[in-house]
Formats: sequence, C-alpha cells, structure tokens
Amino acid sequence: MNTIFFSLLTIFSLFVFMNLGKIKASKRQMNRDDRINWSGRQNRNQNHNKNNGEIIEGKAEEVDDQSKK
Amino acid sequence: MSKHSALNTFGRSGNPAFTRNFDDTNSVTQVGRMTLDGAVNKTAILLGLCFGGAFVGWNIPVLAIPGLIIGTILAFVTIFRSPEKAGSTAPFYAAFEGVALGGITVFAEMQYPGIGIQAIGLTFGILASLLFCYKSGIIKPTENFRLMLFSATMGIALLYLVSFIMSFFGSGIGFIHSNGLFGIGFSFFVVGIAALNLVLDFDFIEEGAERGLPKYMEWYGAFSLMVTLVWLYIEILRLLMKLRSR
Repeated sequence: MNTIFFSLLTIFSLFVFMNLGKIKASKRQMNRDDRINWSGRQNRNQNHNKNNGEIIEGKAEEVDDQSKK
Repeated sequence: MSKHSALNTFGRSGNPAFTRNFDDTNSVTQVGRMTLDGAVNKTAILLGLCFGGAFVGWNIPVLAIPGLIIGTILAFVTIFRSPEKAGSTAPFYAAFEGVALGGITVFAEMQYPGIGIQAIGLTFGILASLLFCYKSGIIKPTENFRLMLFSATMGIALLYLVSFIMSFFGSGIGFIHSNGLFGIGFSFFVVGIAALNLVLDFDFIEEGAERGLPKYMEWYGAFSLMVTLVWLYIEILRLLMKLRSR
C-alpha cells in the first residue's frame, strides 16, 4: 500500500512537472517590480554602455553647434 | 540602400538556399534561444539518466562512492569552469549522481525497507507542488528571498564541511546527525531550504526563457534543477531515516 501510494505520487508529480513546466508563469508572478535580477551584471554593463552612448551623442551635437557658429 | 552596387542593381541572390537562409533568420534565432519546453525536456532527459544510473548503483552499491566523487567533480566543473558546456557535462553528472543515489538508497533500504520510494515520492511531490506555487504566483521569489536562501544554503554547506573535517579527527557536530528532536528539526530545516532552492531554479529558467538566453542555458537550467533535486532527495532520505530510527 505504502509503495503503491508513493509510486502514484511520483508518477503524478512527474506528469504535473512535465506539463506545468512548459507553461509560462502567471502575470501575477511575472509582472512584478521586485523580481530577482538574474542578469544584474549584464544590465549594469548595458546601462553603462547606454550612458556612454548618450554622452558621445551629446558631445557630437555640441561640436556641430560650435562648427556652425 | 546597400553600399554594394551589384545588390542594388540585381537585388538579393536568386539562389534558393541563400534566399531561405535570409528569410529564416528569425527562425534560426528562435532555434538558438532558451525555451521553457527545452529546459523541461532536458530536465526529463537528466532525470532519465539519473534513474538509469540509480539502477546500476542499486545493483552494484560499491560504485556509490566513486559515483558521488565523480558526480561532485562534474558539478564543480559545470558550475565554475564551463557553464556553456553543460550539454556535455550535465548528462554525465546526472548518470554518476544516479549511481551514487542508487547505492545510498540500497543501504537505507537494508535498514528501513520501503524508505526509498517514500523519499522519491516526497521529492517529486515537493517539486510539483512548488512548481504550481511558483507558476500561479503564490510564492514570489525576490532579491531578499534569494539572499536569505543563499545565506542559509552557505551556512548549511559550511556546517557539513566542518562536520566532515572534524570526522577525520574522530569528532563531529553531533546534533546534525542525531535522531533527537534537535536533529530532526535541523533536517526539517535543511529539507525546507533545499525545497525553496527549487523556486530559485524555476525563476532562473523562467527568466532565461523570457530573455531568450543562449540555447545551452537550457542544459544549465536543467542541471541546476538536478543538483537541487539530488540534494533534496538525500536530505529527505536522511530525515526519514531519523524519523524511522526513533
């Protein structure tokens, strides 16, 4: 009885895992502000590059303005 | 307009092979990205290999210690040396850990018959129920949640390491192996921490698929899930043994 119960529990759990695992998590889970930032370092680099890009654009515009004057 | 005048004049190549490749750029990109399906299927492959290894370990229990050592080395190699090669190391890790678990389970079964299937049932039961809790948003992993789990996991690892080193000098941290109330309470705590680590694995896989990480991360996600499942199984087995020995 013990073996049958736990065998059935194992099979049912594996079935649930195989089916539920392929479904996307609910919006309640995904659309949160306090989610774990797994790629923190990448984001920091991206932001850093982004900021650098903005600074370069700004400088380029200033140079253009000066050359017009 | 392309800077190559031939392309401007004649358009893209009429060769169907090239045309198809240009048109299918999106689908090629899709194939190279991590998906939930891929991660779940790879976890199933690793579980199958683990069960296969367990069958070997069950029949030849002497292989348990070598299996555990090789499995542990493969786990460290996968984590610290080459996560992008998880596709080639994770299957071997699962097979060798399976051999180790098969051997350990035989020893447990000899002392307490029927304990193996109980531990397997509880492990997968926890896996399915926590997956449901995660997917439905009942459990919401946050940075604080991760920090708390990381601290607790490191604390447990340090405690086990100290206990292991002390065992060479004929000593040890008694309460973590005892079947007293404190020992059982400690095992419950460790099972809880191991189980909650599953939630972190689910979140890692979910976000990896959402961000479209490289394909090899499917193997890495499946591997991390396997590591947690192996730990959870061993801890549940230890807890059940303590409870049965009372």
